[in-house]
Amino acid sequence: MAASIGNFLKPWRPSYSAKFSLNLVDYSLIQYIRVLVTRWARYNPYYLEPEPRKEVYNIPETELTEEEKKERELKAVRPIKAAPPALTSSVFNDPMISKFINMMMHDGRKRLASEIMIQTLERMKRIQVEKYHKAPDAEKPEIDCNPYAIFHKALENCKPVVGLRNVKKGAKVYQVPTALTDNRRRFMAMKWLITECRENKHRRTLMYEKLSQELLEASANKGSVVKKKHDLHRMAEANRAYAHFRW
Amino acid sequence: MLQSVRHSDMAASSRAVMKSFLRRCGQCWSLISALPAENTVLRLNYVIPVRMVSVSKSTGFRQRNPPSGQQKFTLEFVKKQIEEFNLSKRHLANIMGEDPENFTQEDIDRSIVYLFPSALFEKKARPIMKHPDLIFPRQRAVQWDPDGRPFHYLFYTGKQSYYSLMHDTFAKVLEVERYQDRLLLKGLFSQEVKPISLAGGRWLSKDEFEEFLVETISDQDYTYFLQLIGRLSSLPYSSLEKEFILSFHKQLDVQASKQLGQPLEFDQDGVAFSSAQGRRKTAEATVVLRDISSGKITINSVDYLKYFPSLQDRLQLMFPLQFVGRLGRHALECTVTGGGHSAQAGALRLAIARALLSYVSESEKESMRQAGLLTSDPRLKERKKPGQAGARRKFTWKKR
Repeated sequence: MAASIGNFLKPWRPSYSAKFSLNLVDYSLIQYIRVLVTRWARYNPYYLEPEPRKEVYNIPETELTEEEKKERELKAVRPIKAAPPALTSSVFNDPMISKFINMMMHDGRKRLASEIMIQTLERMKRIQVEKYHKAPDAEKPEIDCNPYAIFHKALENCKPVVGLRNVKKGAKVYQVPTALTDNRRRFMAMKWLITECRENKHRRTLMYEKLSQELLEASANKGSVVKKKHDLHRMAEANRAYAHFRW
Repeated sequence: MLQSVRHSDMAASSRAVMKSFLRRCGQCWSLISALPAENTVLRLNYVIPVRMVSVSKSTGFRQRNPPSGQQKFTLEFVKKQIEEFNLSKRHLANIMGEDPENFTQEDIDRSIVYLFPSALFEKKARPIMKHPDLIFPRQRAVQWDPDGRPFHYLFYTGKQSYYSLMHDTFAKVLEVERYQDRLLLKGLFSQEVKPISLAGGRWLSKDEFEEFLVETISDQDYTYFLQLIGRLSSLPYSSLEKEFILSFHKQLDVQASKQLGQPLEFDQDGVAFSSAQGRRKTAEATVVLRDISSGKITINSVDYLKYFPSLQDRLQLMFPLQFVGRLGRHALECTVTGGGHSAQAGALRLAIARALLSYVSESEKESMRQAGLLTSDPRLKERKKPGQAGARRKFTWKKR
């Protein structure tokens, strides 16, 4: 590994193929060679992730913690990866929602998936506003009309605390309760929501109708997805005795 | 000192042609004359002192014909080569009709390509003319006295300079620790003292480290060294050995200085504008950014709303403008070819960000860079492989 670090430090240059060394090919021809021959990470480890949020750059140096200062110093001297197409500095840019869209997507049809997401948010907003106007004045402040907040709350309610892992001991496979990483918890919550909407949907209801309904229910800590989470918790509780098989 | 591949017939014949050509030009073909004699010169002028012992026939053969892997060059030889190089550089400048005093390496390369055109694929096989320091690897002086006894006590480790450096480094670690202990005893030790800040830099790479040692070392040796020097630099009072530590540390240059915008231009009406190009996948975009508020945004002379029906693409288009807070202050005239809609939006984003560099301040340029707006996205489509359904996907396979 150490030997290859020397190469990383050189300025990045696209290598289109082992056969095509850039000096041998007319530079204007390069545009026609636009296909990668082998699998290869396009960024070397010296590239850092981009930070699209504007407000991060406006924080004065005095308000930064020691770690953030170090990170800023590091970012000044390192090359940065190009921002991926789904990332913007827009106020509507939400990594959680963009993740959800990607998980909902089938066959790379991202436009369809993001349209469904927008329709879902709109429908949630409509339902909540209607509810708000119908409710008596005393209950009005409790009704949340922000669809983004509802989405995040619903997702948070769906995230399991513990999970199960299959461990083979002897001839038996035990289901062992384990702690989950944040990534895994998010994945499970999203997967449950999406499969629930796909499988238990009447054929005449649309995806966004079902999804908005599920999200609203989950944000109130009700509904089948939250039930699924509780089922998993109950299983973990029942298999407590095997917890020591984790190691 | 001109080198070319001796085993290549093509190079040899071209050399002969060039020789005759040069002879006609003047008396300056000493430029290439060093070649044939080289082999004989290289066979070591200095004699390695060996104890007189009887050796078998095969050992004797091996000693008389050392393996061709590592050639060694004496100092005198290299010095002679340098003299020759300087002389032939002047000759070359005269041939090319340029000033011999200010004839740089770039000029040399250019004239060699001109005088000795080579169609050889391998670049190492083409004729070159470089300073002998660059051609003959640096090597250490003789490491033993006339009796054949090595000077250094670590000679028989095979990597004497590496191991002596490791010894030195560890001695420094101990020294700093002892100093800290003494301070602790006196009650003068304070946590306020900061170790040397090494952020924004890197250690010497393995190649550089080997060059420094004039020895080849293994990856493991290199990691051991990194661990040791890391331990030394993390000590609270490591600043005692600052000079030593920093000699193995290289500061990376600040990236911000690499972002340069073109100066603003003005058209007939006195309106400022800047233009730039961008690329992503197979899409190529050109943008002319005019400083007109309430200006229109057109892509291939179509309104951007019609050109990009997808929201994500429009977000990408506006990303750089929104990031620097210049939405609605510019008229954009974009042309884009190739690629799909997402790649086109990406190419436009890069072009707009580059064109914006003429308008924004230095700090904004740096934050644009850190937001990943100024990096050209190098990711491309991976090719389909034979025997597979796609780039990664395999065909369905059933045992029976």
